[in-house]
Amino acid sequence: MLPKSTYNRMPWIFPLLWGLGWSLSSLPAFGKEDPFAGVVPQRSEKEEGTDFLTENFAFRKELMSEFGADSRGEVSSRQSVGFEVQKKFSSETSTLFSIDFQARLVRRDGFTDAPNDMEGMTRPGWSFEVHNAYLDLYNPLGGVGVLNLRAGRFYLPFGLNLATDTHGSLLQLSNEMGFGFERDWYAGFWGSLGDTNYDLYYLAGSGYDLLFKGQTGLGALRLSLGNRYASEDGMEGGFSFLGGRRLSMDGSGVETQRIGIDGRLRGAGPFGPMGWTTEMAVGRDEGQDLFTQLHQFDYLHASRSWGLSAQYRRSWEEAVADSSVSAEATWYLSNDVGGSNLQWLKLNVRWPLEVAGPTLFTLQYYQYW
Amino acid sequence: MRYFLSSILAGLLAFPPQAFAAIGCTLNNPAEDLKYLFPGMTSYREELKEFGKLPNGRKAFEGLPARLRGELDKVYETYETAYTVYWIFKGKEKLGLVHGVNVPGQGGVIQVFLLLDPKTGAIQKFFFQRLESPAASALRAKAFRDQFAGLTLADFYKHDYYQAKDLKDPADKIGGITLPKTTSGKKDLQAALRGVRKNLVLMDLFVFGGMYEPFFERAQKVGVKALGGKP
Repeated sequence: MLPKSTYNRMPWIFPLLWGLGWSLSSLPAFGKEDPFAGVVPQRSEKEEGTDFLTENFAFRKELMSEFGADSRGEVSSRQSVGFEVQKKFSSETSTLFSIDFQARLVRRDGFTDAPNDMEGMTRPGWSFEVHNAYLDLYNPLGGVGVLNLRAGRFYLPFGLNLATDTHGSLLQLSNEMGFGFERDWYAGFWGSLGDTNYDLYYLAGSGYDLLFKGQTGLGALRLSLGNRYASEDGMEGGFSFLGGRRLSMDGSGVETQRIGIDGRLRGAGPFGPMGWTTEMAVGRDEGQDLFTQLHQFDYLHASRSWGLSAQYRRSWEEAVADSSVSAEATWYLSNDVGGSNLQWLKLNVRWPLEVAGPTLFTLQYYQYW
Repeated sequence: MRYFLSSILAGLLAFPPQAFAAIGCTLNNPAEDLKYLFPGMTSYREELKEFGKLPNGRKAFEGLPARLRGELDKVYETYETAYTVYWIFKGKEKLGLVHGVNVPGQGGVIQVFLLLDPKTGAIQKFFFQRLESPAASALRAKAFRDQFAGLTLADFYKHDYYQAKDLKDPADKIGGITLPKTTSGKKDLQAALRGVRKNLVLMDLFVFGGMYEPFFERAQKVGVKALGGKP
């Protein structure tokens, strides 16, 4: 504080000091320096090294080595190498269409009815298998997402399989149990109407190979919850309807009607995500009533390095029932969230419940990258 | 025939791994999600981005830890991971771009999506697609997410400086964000914030030509200690 004598001699000193202090304190850099002064965004002109072929192009490789053994002493081996090609084609402002092709060269020795190898029953030795081969045409009538066209071979539009990649997994959903195949050749439409997704297709009904042996084919409609429910609530679900004449595994026609309901709920557990899946269908094959159901629990440790699953499945047709329960443990060497870089070792054990049969052990190594 | 098929497959398997893409984090239903974000849009275009296609992609990947201020996750953040960018159009006008990343949370995956200004890279909207967390409702709260609107990657690099110097300053926009109070989901909150930053860093590399690199370099010069990797 200044002495009173100073004020008496220089009465202007207080206003001057106050004004000087106020001016300095109001300067933005007073007492601190802006370390980013003069720094501005600056764009580099380097371009990505893409061309027509490599732009929006994905190529992935696959290795699978699987061994089965049952309590009756039967053993089996299934070894395969495969690949998948995905390519999207775009205009300047729009993604117009995409293609997906996925195939395997497989060598089978012996057969033990592994959960993911029903077709192995009729394919001993070498075989070349096409799993996916389809084209998606986006918004051909304009609008965005309301109507898209799909043609080719893909998962049956019945139950949760359209939303579930079971290409490499041992545990499968219920379509193979209900129809004898889980993929077919088809063409039709898919899209979203508000919070409802739809899939409407005509299917050849021949399953693994595209064959026409007098079957009329199948019509299929699936109505399912919009993706918002999966994102926000971890919930998927829908109703499926299918009817027509398909080919059975022995090549004869089967008059087929089905109505199905399905749901899957996923959520965070204390140590990692858990999920519950249910698929149920009622209908008729050649006039015979049937009922199939599948319930599955999955747990994945938060590290994504290991997981456990259990599945119960049952089919009933005109008083004949078959059911089993399976338990599975998986050790992941890599487990990319998008499912595009995977490497695992799985051990699956299946016990028959209502029909006498062997306990089956399946060991699988799988890599997809 | 068998020999022929085997030869084809053997040839395909011999492709160098960097030539192939792995889709990282995509919208479940792009058409519906993008229409919700941009009711006036007329079309969208997807672009797949990979480090392998960037000039000096390996160097850019090795520089990620310094820009994220933490080591990369071996499952979620690999060199091969590809990223899908959605450009949204009204006629021929670019309305924005949407991009998502996966980050590991305590209960599983967290998918952090950002809607960015196509010219400045500033956040217009921040939302979660997949969020397996006990703090899910707190993180999804609009009041929390809205605070990120207008922020750019420059704000994160500036925050590093203020944090390193332990300074409170109105210019530190990240430091001014009110975080949700959660005890059970603290790790998920940190993961979500890291996801926002990672998303911006990747878009700066893949889409905006390293526009905010000068801010990163200045932050390093003025004393922000590089963490986990080469700056």
